[in-house]
Amino acid sequence: MSDFAVLGLFDSADALMKAIPQVKAKKLGRLEAYTPYPIHGMDEALELRRSPLGGMVLAMGILGALTALGAQYWISAIDYPIVTGGKAPWSWEAFVPIMFEVMVAFATFTAGLGMLLLLNKLPFFGHPVLNAKAMRAITRDRFALALEADPELDAEAAKAALRAAGATDLEVLPFPEKGPFLTSDFILRSLGGIFVACAVAGIGMYWAIKLVPTLIPITHMLEQPKVNAYEGSTFFADGRAMLTPVPGTVARGYLPVAAATQEEAAGLANPLPRTPEVLALGKKAFTNRCAVCHGPLANGQGSLGAAYGAKPANLQAGQFQAGGDRPVPSGPLGPPQASGAASQAKPGPGSGFPPYPDGKIYWTIVHGKNAMPSQAADLTVDERWAVVHYVRALQRAQNAKDEDLP
Amino acid sequence: MKAETSALNVELPEVLREVPLTEGPVTPGSLDDQILGVTDRKPPRKWFLAIAFTSLLATLGFGFIGYTIYTGIGAWGNNSPVFWAFDIINFVFWVGIGHAGTLISAILFLFRMRWRNAIARFAEAMTIFAVMCAGLFPLIHVGRPWLAFWLFPYPNQRALWPNFRSPLLWDVFAVSTYFSVSAMFWYLGLLPDIASMRDRTENKWRKLAYTILALGWHGSGRHWQHYEKAYLLLAGLATGLVLSVHSVVSFDFATSVVPGWHMTIFPPYFVAGAIFAGFAMVVIVLVVVRESMNLTNLITQRHLEVMNKVILGMSCLMGYSYAMEGFTAWYSQNVYLHHTFLNIIGGTYGWAGWLTMACNIFVPQLLWFKKCRTSYFWMILVATSVTIGMWFERFVIIVISLHQDFLPSAWRLYKPTLVDFGILLGSFGLFFTLVLLFARVLPVIATTEVKGILPGAQPTHGGHHE
Repeated sequence: MSDFAVLGLFDSADALMKAIPQVKAKKLGRLEAYTPYPIHGMDEALELRRSPLGGMVLAMGILGALTALGAQYWISAIDYPIVTGGKAPWSWEAFVPIMFEVMVAFATFTAGLGMLLLLNKLPFFGHPVLNAKAMRAITRDRFALALEADPELDAEAAKAALRAAGATDLEVLPFPEKGPFLTSDFILRSLGGIFVACAVAGIGMYWAIKLVPTLIPITHMLEQPKVNAYEGSTFFADGRAMLTPVPGTVARGYLPVAAATQEEAAGLANPLPRTPEVLALGKKAFTNRCAVCHGPLANGQGSLGAAYGAKPANLQAGQFQAGGDRPVPSGPLGPPQASGAASQAKPGPGSGFPPYPDGKIYWTIVHGKNAMPSQAADLTVDERWAVVHYVRALQRAQNAKDEDLP
Repeated sequence: MKAETSALNVELPEVLREVPLTEGPVTPGSLDDQILGVTDRKPPRKWFLAIAFTSLLATLGFGFIGYTIYTGIGAWGNNSPVFWAFDIINFVFWVGIGHAGTLISAILFLFRMRWRNAIARFAEAMTIFAVMCAGLFPLIHVGRPWLAFWLFPYPNQRALWPNFRSPLLWDVFAVSTYFSVSAMFWYLGLLPDIASMRDRTENKWRKLAYTILALGWHGSGRHWQHYEKAYLLLAGLATGLVLSVHSVVSFDFATSVVPGWHMTIFPPYFVAGAIFAGFAMVVIVLVVVRESMNLTNLITQRHLEVMNKVILGMSCLMGYSYAMEGFTAWYSQNVYLHHTFLNIIGGTYGWAGWLTMACNIFVPQLLWFKKCRTSYFWMILVATSVTIGMWFERFVIIVISLHQDFLPSAWRLYKPTLVDFGILLGSFGLFFTLVLLFARVLPVIATTEVKGILPGAQPTHGGHHE
């Protein structure tokens, strides 16, 4: 095996530059110079190609600017359009500063890392000249000219050529020895090391994720000067965190029902007119609060009932009809007819059930019945009565007659 | 180069001759022994004393930062309507200090000002440390710094994106780009020097560290070719970057409607102020380094004088900017702007306005005299005055403009707390601790660059170099 290179040292940049054409003329191998600082004219002397770095940087700079513009446009105009300062979401002028910064970032990292990693192939710790005795002088104050194998090198001829050009301290650099690298022992030990590192990192991350969010102040303002649920307080004598309201206090919009039992409530009249607005309100409240169990048609076929096996009331059943088990009387929509004692007083012909007045439905909404919880906290008085109207409308719709057609 | 220069020197009169960039006999070898040898020797006692003091300050500052994070931003004096105070003042102040380093290393490189080679490394290091100090303040001002990554646009489960019309977001991009680019520029410049240190040190551990850091640099002609090209490109890009960064910082103010902030002069005014403050800091640190590390032959009197001239020029630019602020207030015929300007020269904080003007405009006029430009006493006096003045300039811009804006019922005076001062002092401690550490473990002068401009360093034939 031949040698990698023959190295000759010079004392000045001048001497080195004068020697290069002399040695080059002999055509013994690839010529390379190792110097402590860049020398003017070295590119021409060694006949190096122009560095392609400028083009790389230009291309990556343009790419960076376009990336920033595209990302900002997509985010601000398409994915998350929010009007700020009265500007249109696609107004691009505000994107210019970040475009510039990202362009510079792309370009500089291309210049720096592209030079290091792509063009100079660094980091690389195995270059033969790093092990040369002359290395100390090269990074200090002397200048080396090397004839390198291309692919073979006649070391004696190279030495003679360098000496003739004025070099001192000639040094022959052998190819670096390549020891066995991928032995099974090495692979096993590496895999073991990787496994241990992963295990340690995993356990560390597990505890970090568990513990760190519980540390004050990372608890996202969990610690506050207020009384949390089930916490004692010494602020009031009775240990409560909040004063109990004065007896008889009524929350706005939540008047209590004057009836104690459902039978008493039968006499309540629906105070709301049957207008499209009221029915729309009733539809909304029914859809939000009731339909999940009673079903959108109030026939007891709600999705929750189907999923959990509960048996919500079928409000279309005869027992819940305003006029008993016969269909709602036909005729144009008039004033609320299923109100109070009037409808209660006259059971429908042939019915097994007495009429079911509006007040009873209202009472059930407020207090709940069997498995049904109270809806009082979620529906205002108006919403409850609107639901009653809507239920009536559903009942009529499911029992429509020919005369109901417009 | 040598031949051309010496040929010219014969014909040129004395004043036009090229002044040598170093004093006394300097060879590449002696340079290495002087600069790189520092790391092989034990630091002197005064270095330990200095770093003990500065790291004590830094520890104190971090203690106050910890206290702030634990208790919340209420630990500071910031309150409605002065929501920005010491934190943003310090941020702008430190970012500004950093700009001198990039100016020296990049802009003067493009202009082929070869005297920069001796001080570029130090100035670049100061840039990085100053930007580190600067970055600290917005980070702690967000209140929950562990969530600061929300500032970056990344896809998240909240389906939220940052607002790209906010100059604060531009700032995030500008400062993080500036820091990473400066760090890379600095490291690439260090690479050949670290290789020299790797090859000269005898200590096993230090050799290992320098070997890894040098990435196997061996100074081949092909590597130098790409390296020089990369350095030139980086200098050009960093020049644009440094001008953009402080412009973006000024947009934080200028794009708002607050009287005293909403002015088109802000970007150039901020950039000039940044270079001004940065050069003053470089002068202070350079004088200390030059004397304590015996670098008088490399950092010559001429370096200091040229830097002082830059400070003088920037001081005049600042004077123009301040005058323009007054002119804008008068010419705009806007009562709010009038009021803000009158606050600067005569309000509760009027003393700060006059201190700013005295420190930044009047005191630096001393540098018209050559005696002041070359005497340590006067240049340190001026540089200290500029540092104080530039800090107060940001105080004037931020606090005076905010404490009385459009609505008199919202006016309130601002009063900093002990924590505010503690963190400010801590940032100085951090900065000087890093500077002191840097001076011991890495070459304070770019030896490779200085070697290249020593007499006789470049070949005499060819005749087509600059």
